[in-house]
Amino acid sequence: MAHEIVPGTIGWLTTFRLGIRNLARHRRRTWITATTVAIAILLLQMSFSILTGLEQQSYDNLINYQTAHAKIYADGYFADRDEYPLEPNLSEIGDLQATVTSVTGIAATTPRLVFFAQISNGVDQIPCQGVGIDVEGSDDDVFRLPATIVEGSYLTESDEGMLLGSGLAKLFSVSAGDWLTILCQTVNGAYEAIDLPITGIVGSGNPLIDRNTLMIPLTVAQDLLDMEAAVTELAVRFSAGSRESATLSRLTSALESEDGLEVKGWRALEENFMALVKMKRTGNAIMLGIFALMAVVGITNTILMATYERTREIGMLMAMGMRRQGIRKLFLTEGALCGLLGSALGTAVAFVLIYWINIKGWNITAMYGDMDVGYPVKDIIYLSLDLLTMAVIGFSTGVLAGLAALYPAVRASRLDAAEALRHV
Amino acid sequence: MAVSARLAEVEKTYMVGSIEVPAIRGISMEIESGDFLALAGPSGSGKTTLLNLLGVLDTPTVGNIEIGGQSTGGMSPKTLADFRNTHLGFIFQTFNLIPVLTAHENVEFPLHLKGITDRVERSQKVEEILEDVGLAGLSDRRPNELSGGQQQRVAVARALIKEPTLVLADEPTANLDSATAEEIMDLMKEMNKKKGTTFVFSTHDPLVMKHARRLVLLRDGRVESDGPGEGNGRGT
Repeated sequence: MAHEIVPGTIGWLTTFRLGIRNLARHRRRTWITATTVAIAILLLQMSFSILTGLEQQSYDNLINYQTAHAKIYADGYFADRDEYPLEPNLSEIGDLQATVTSVTGIAATTPRLVFFAQISNGVDQIPCQGVGIDVEGSDDDVFRLPATIVEGSYLTESDEGMLLGSGLAKLFSVSAGDWLTILCQTVNGAYEAIDLPITGIVGSGNPLIDRNTLMIPLTVAQDLLDMEAAVTELAVRFSAGSRESATLSRLTSALESEDGLEVKGWRALEENFMALVKMKRTGNAIMLGIFALMAVVGITNTILMATYERTREIGMLMAMGMRRQGIRKLFLTEGALCGLLGSALGTAVAFVLIYWINIKGWNITAMYGDMDVGYPVKDIIYLSLDLLTMAVIGFSTGVLAGLAALYPAVRASRLDAAEALRHV
Repeated sequence: MAVSARLAEVEKTYMVGSIEVPAIRGISMEIESGDFLALAGPSGSGKTTLLNLLGVLDTPTVGNIEIGGQSTGGMSPKTLADFRNTHLGFIFQTFNLIPVLTAHENVEFPLHLKGITDRVERSQKVEEILEDVGLAGLSDRRPNELSGGQQQRVAVARALIKEPTLVLADEPTANLDSATAEEIMDLMKEMNKKKGTTFVFSTHDPLVMKHARRLVLLRDGRVESDGPGEGNGRGT
């Protein structure tokens, strides 16, 4: 069935044919423009993927090694947590664990005892965070530390040893099997020290853990700090696939009847980092905007040049009775085709690079070394590969680039036909 | 005889900065259907301006122009475009074919603009007219694969395919050698005779004047003389 065509315009098929042929006629210019768009979209896709990957990796690093999905504290602990207080604390952990694990969406819980420590090799002394972990029990149900051991081995309950962050190990130039002294203050304020061998070195990718943390068995920590069976927190992991906010709400509700407890989700625990992420997103949006602008300027420039070169042709089309709308359609289509060509190229190259880096990882040690990149990640970063997002970015930027032809297209459609025909 | 176009006291004045430059100073004339008329005169006499006014590419400062019995005054840009689409055909000195389209597609283009969606109907009309202008077999060639004369034949076919009331040709032989120019004039005369289409040329080419059945001489924006051309009686 023949389709409806507005008199004074041409059908889409003819418009596309004209657009493609005009782009093919000025092949070199088309490739230069499409390449500019492709580079802009490649940068856009890569940047977006790196930033999304960094964020996701940061969240994973926080949840897997530092915050879990949520933590339960004795009321009043959270506000002073930066002081590493040993009181208020959780003393009857068994009942609490049973209550928490009965909540839908909770996979596991583990008690931890976090304390302030000084670590020394007899010559140098460095302040750090000590963590007593339930080695044989449940720590590796909630956290993913065993997989981060880069040297030596993970702790066992019978071990009187420590796991040391790789950054701290480097500072002391120690390795697994070496001994260090941990100095701390007990819950009663007395000073205590213990010499322990390094059982394993932890390289988690989370700078707080790698540069600032040592871990010892929970029972050793409790003895050292005179805490008896008390801990400072109960870390909670949610089941895979459970909705985070809903699970957190259920957990909070379940513990409402329990006096003297406070529940914090990982986003609240890391509110400073989340604020930083928000700020970085704004900055990154500006950067991404600049890349998009590159594509837009490329197309605008090319279509402007095309309308200038084809002024007489535009005059002739108007003389034949083409409406302004028809002229706009012609140049907008040309811009959109060029934009989508560049977008397809840029997205295809970006897909290959992102796919490769997503699997292999990108070692940023050479670029940043031990410097902080602003995210709790280090050494190797993995890009986020999200085909839907890539398609949306590619298509929308292509269309945006096409819309960049709007200005030259409108300008062309407003030409005076008689003057356009006189154009040399 | 029916009137194809009527001009009544038409004036056109351009503003160059703050200076008024009169290009047409009160022209009244009638162009009969089937006329083969040449507007001649020296440079600056107003030939192209008058042609643009007849082609409703420009509007008169004073006066009225009727084409096919319809006044063109006060039309919106969209209505003017539609009017050109329906009533007028153009032939240009530099052919002005769309370089990326074949001869067939160039000639077919006005049919798209007219909203004719039946591909078979379009194709049939195009092939017929290409044969009429002597380009059968060359329909797949692009303009850069055709000689100047062949390109102007395509332009003639393009102007005629929509069966306009009036065909306006701006110096149609200026870019052609004399033999080809003669061929093109013969072709247009033949089309004029065969289809009864009204042709108006702007020219200072004696060859065109020789073929014209009516010759209007312009000077300083006025009609200096209006009478039978040398071609009077030859084309009909």
